[in-house]
Amino acid sequence: MNWNWISSNVGAIADAALDHVVLTALAVGIGFAISFLFALLIHHDRRFYSPISGITGLLYTIPSLALLALLTPITGLSLLTAEIALVSYTLLILTRHIVAGLDGVPREIDEAAVGMGYDVGGRLMRVDLPLAIPLIVAGLRVATVTTIGLVMVTAFIGEGGLGQLMLRGFNFRNYTAVYVGAIVTVGLAIVADLGLITAGRLATPWTRPR
Amino acid sequence: MSHSTQRAPGATVEFERISKQYDTRAKGTPGAVNDLSFEVPAGKICVLVGPSGCGKTTSLKMVNRLIEPTSGRILLDGVDTATRDVTELRRRIGYVIQQVGLFPHQTIGENVVVVPRLLGWPAGRRRERAEELLELVGLDPARYRDRYPSQLSGGERQRVGVARALAADPPVMLMDEPFGAVDPIVRDRLQNEFLRLQEELAKTILFVTHDIDEAIKMGDLVAVMKSGGVLAQYGPPSEILAAPADDFVARFVGADRGLKRLSLSRVGDLELRQVAMAQPGDEAAGARRQIDPTFPYLLLIDRERRPIGWIAQDRCPSSGPLSEDLAVPMSPLFNRRATLKDALSLLLDSDVQAGIVVDRRGATLGIVTADEIAEQMRTGEHVVAADPFPGEEAALEVRSGLADGAGVEAAVG
Repeated sequence: MNWNWISSNVGAIADAALDHVVLTALAVGIGFAISFLFALLIHHDRRFYSPISGITGLLYTIPSLALLALLTPITGLSLLTAEIALVSYTLLILTRHIVAGLDGVPREIDEAAVGMGYDVGGRLMRVDLPLAIPLIVAGLRVATVTTIGLVMVTAFIGEGGLGQLMLRGFNFRNYTAVYVGAIVTVGLAIVADLGLITAGRLATPWTRPR
Repeated sequence: MSHSTQRAPGATVEFERISKQYDTRAKGTPGAVNDLSFEVPAGKICVLVGPSGCGKTTSLKMVNRLIEPTSGRILLDGVDTATRDVTELRRRIGYVIQQVGLFPHQTIGENVVVVPRLLGWPAGRRRERAEELLELVGLDPARYRDRYPSQLSGGERQRVGVARALAADPPVMLMDEPFGAVDPIVRDRLQNEFLRLQEELAKTILFVTHDIDEAIKMGDLVAVMKSGGVLAQYGPPSEILAAPADDFVARFVGADRGLKRLSLSRVGDLELRQVAMAQPGDEAAGARRQIDPTFPYLLLIDRERRPIGWIAQDRCPSSGPLSEDLAVPMSPLFNRRATLKDALSLLLDSDVQAGIVVDRRGATLGIVTADEIAEQMRTGEHVVAADPFPGEEAALEVRSGLADGAGVEAAVG
């Protein structure tokens, strides 16, 4: 470890980490929005399940480097290319988890809700979604941690946050940069995961025994 | 219940030639209903009873349009439910289901005022209403308001379910096996509490059960349904028991329907037999002269007319003062709210001829014998249905030793 390198590059490391966080947050945020719509479609009408499941599943199976290579001729070496790839990989996980969460609401609770006079939107917002929170959070955790790892790969098209740091480290045999990139990335993943666990707990006080 | 709340009287519910057919006979398809017509007067409990698949739940769910009928109309206070906005209709009908279906993510205080929130009541009024409702169903608001459903027992959840259905004071309530998921002792208590509540609330209630005993106990009117969703008989429980319309009804109510009928009458409905009575210290000769030869016992009572025990005629001295030592304390004590069924069963259990009927203060009113009850069962002339002695607890007790007060107590509804 070259501590001098670290102390003289703190700013660059922090910038890379921030980039990493922004790339991840954008990908998971956009991915969640799209998955949410997909899940509502499926929840509303089961016939949407096969096509949506097929498309998101196909996207998930394309190797990340290959997807970047396929996209670059169209969208160039850009943030857009990186995000298209990153978002693609979140869809399968998030859609499945949200659908499972909505499906997991016990039948008698839905029946009681309808019988008491909830309309479709009210039932979704006040009954089904709150009860789906634990599974939605589980999906967000997997998607977030996966995305933090995948952001590294986008270093090959000039994005990549801490991935850039590591890639340059390899190229210039600066292994300190490689280690720092790896360690900070792992740290980010752990912090994000713990943050989501905590947020999930706070959002579901009824699951805690008192 | 607070007196500030305006209470809506029940509405009449009419089924007009209601049918519901299903194309498939897949597992889990609800029972079909065939040309169902009946009317529930405002403020009455109508129990739909029948074997599984007879369409009783389907019938219930057509009232709040969870299921739409294939043909026919359901009228609430003369208005066709099909013409009303469906969510608005449901918010005006209380709904209780067996699995209760409380929202796990809301506190008890939030759960009970779900419908008021849907109706847009302000938060302050909802909070007040939640307190009232919890008190109404016997749950201390301070203790229960902030708990979640998972922290309650089955019986407590059922109470919350009833409170929730009552929240917006709906004129009509639908109850689908509301006490089905609790053990028999808790069920009995919930049934009794609900009947007491209903005396005050006078809702129109449609109540589904597969248990004929529950139907007889809870119903002002009982609709017996058979498979295919056909109404086999509709009438007050005494009529169903006394004169089953056909073999199906007779079999469904059971071979012991004579006994069941006894549960519809109460001890207080009988003309109580009077017996010879005396107090300790009374002159034996005078007391002996009162003894009826067909019932050769003297009942010793205290100054407040509370029974002390029996003195058989042949053990009664012919002169001198009567003393407590002579009395044998062995009759069950009943109050007037005890049903004839419970009274008979206690008499048979305790192996004595007569039970002593006492008032609220324990003073002797008369006696009732197993023979009299059996006679009542044979004649089939039943007065009742309504409770003639409101306010008196339906408790009866058997005391093996009246004098020392030791004994067994059994609360009976």
